[in-house]
Amino acid sequence: MKITQGVFFTGYTTLRIEGKFPEFFLNRCVENGISVWNVKKIDELTCEANVRLEDVAALKKLRSQMDYKIRFKKRHGLPFLIRSLLKRRSLVAGFVLGMIAIFLLSNMVWGIKIEGVTPEVEYKIKENLEDYGIKRGAWKFTIETPGQMQQKLLADVPELLWVGVTEKGTTYHLEGVEKTIVTEPEEGGPQSLYARKKGIIVDMYVEKGEPAVELNDYVESGDLLVSGAIGREEEPTLVHAEGEVIAETWYKSEVVVPLDVQYEVITGEKETQYGVQLGGLRVPLWGFKEPEFKRMHEEEYNKPFYLFKWELPIGFSSKEISEAELYKESRTDEEALQIGVKQAEMELKQKLPQNSKIIAQKVLHRQKENGKVKLILYFKVHEDISKPQPITQGD
Amino acid sequence: MKKWQQRIGNWLSQQLDLPTDVILELPRITTIGQIHAYVENHKGLISFSDEELRLKLKQGQLLIKGKGFVLRMMLPEEILLEGTIHEVTFIDQTANG
Repeated sequence: MKITQGVFFTGYTTLRIEGKFPEFFLNRCVENGISVWNVKKIDELTCEANVRLEDVAALKKLRSQMDYKIRFKKRHGLPFLIRSLLKRRSLVAGFVLGMIAIFLLSNMVWGIKIEGVTPEVEYKIKENLEDYGIKRGAWKFTIETPGQMQQKLLADVPELLWVGVTEKGTTYHLEGVEKTIVTEPEEGGPQSLYARKKGIIVDMYVEKGEPAVELNDYVESGDLLVSGAIGREEEPTLVHAEGEVIAETWYKSEVVVPLDVQYEVITGEKETQYGVQLGGLRVPLWGFKEPEFKRMHEEEYNKPFYLFKWELPIGFSSKEISEAELYKESRTDEEALQIGVKQAEMELKQKLPQNSKIIAQKVLHRQKENGKVKLILYFKVHEDISKPQPITQGD
Repeated sequence: MKKWQQRIGNWLSQQLDLPTDVILELPRITTIGQIHAYVENHKGLISFSDEELRLKLKQGQLLIKGKGFVLRMMLPEEILLEGTIHEVTFIDQTANG
C-alpha cells in the first residue's frame, strides 16, 4: 500500500465517475501514471475512486478527451484542512494568541510564598526580593537561580539563619529560619576551672572562686586552676567560678611552601553573550564576536522556558567570558620562609581562642627538596587555658 | 510465432531456474485467505463490480468472483483487491472467444 503512504499530508480527493464502462476510464488513468485506490463500484454506470491532489490536473486533461462525467465528491488531507482553517482566520489568530499567552504566562512569576518567619522579616525578604527583580509578573528567565537567591538573601537579611528557595512552576516557595538570640544564663551552677592544656601561668584574673595555682606555675592538662569550692574545707560554699587564666603554651607546626607558583587572576575585562538554547544547540542572539583574550574563564547560565509546569527544550542562556591572566611567581628561600611562617601563624590563630597572642616564633627545621621548602616551626603563645567544669554535688 | 516464443521462454525458465512469471509474462496472483487478492502482471481492467473483477491477461482473462469488492490499489500492472473472494477462474481466450 505504498501509494497511499503520506497521502494525508499531500491531500487527495474522492472522485465519482459516471459513464459507460467506468473501468475503462480507470484503466486510462493508470496507464497515464495516475495512481488510483479504494475503487468501489456503485452501480453499472458509476464508480468511486481516490486520487492524489497532484494528479488532479492530469485527470482533468483525460476527462476532456473522454466522454465521462467526473465529479469531485470529497476532499481529504492536510492541504484542504489548512485551506479551510485559513478561511477562518480569526479562529487561527485566536489559537496562536492563546498559545503565546499561555507560554508567556508560564514564564512569569506568579506568586512568592514565604513561610516560617515573622511578619517583619517576611516584609524585609519581600523588599529584598523586589530589589533583585523577583516580584509578581517578573520574567522567570531573567532572574537568578534559587541557589543564588538563597545566598543573596542570607547576605542581605541578617536576621535569617537559613533560607530555602524552591521553584514550583510559577511560584517560589521560601522557607526561612530566623536567628534566635540565646541569652546566656546569668548565673550558672557551681563550677571550677581546669586547665585545657599544659603551660606556664603568666597572668590570672579571677572573678569568682579560689585560685588553686600561682603565677609561673607549670600546669598539666586537667589540673585545677580555680576552685569553685570556697570557704572552709569541711563545709565549702559552692560558687560559679569565673575568670581568665593566661598561660604560655607551645605549639609545633609543619608547613610546606612551594618555590614556584602559578595562579590565575581575573582582570575584570569581560564580555557577556546572550543566546537561545535549543536542545543542545546554542543560538547566539547578542554578542557574536569571540573576545580576544589570551586566557579566559567562562561561565554559562541557562534558564529554561516553561509551558505550564513542563520545562521546554528551549531556554535563555547567557555566557560570561572573563579575561584571565596567569601569574607565575618564583620565590627565594627567604621569601618562602616568610610565607611559610605567615601561613603557619594564620593556621594557628584559627585554632586558638580569641584574644590569644603569639609572642615568639622560631624555625626549628628547614629543608629544601623537590622545589619545596619544608619548615618545622615552634611558637610561643599566650592564651586563656581555663575550661569550666561543673561541680557535681554530693561527690 | 507466439507458440515458438513461449516454448523458448519455457525452456529458459526451466534451464536457468528463472521465475516463470517474469519470463513468460504470466500473472502472479497472491491471495491472503479470502480477504485479499494481489494480482501482478495483468494487462488492464476489463470490468469491475462489487461481486466480480475481470482482468485482461496476455492470454485470456482472469475472473475473480466474490462479495464486497473494493480495489485498494491500482497501478499499471498491479491490482490489490479486497473483499470476500469465492473463486478465481482463468478464462481461455480461444474458448471464450
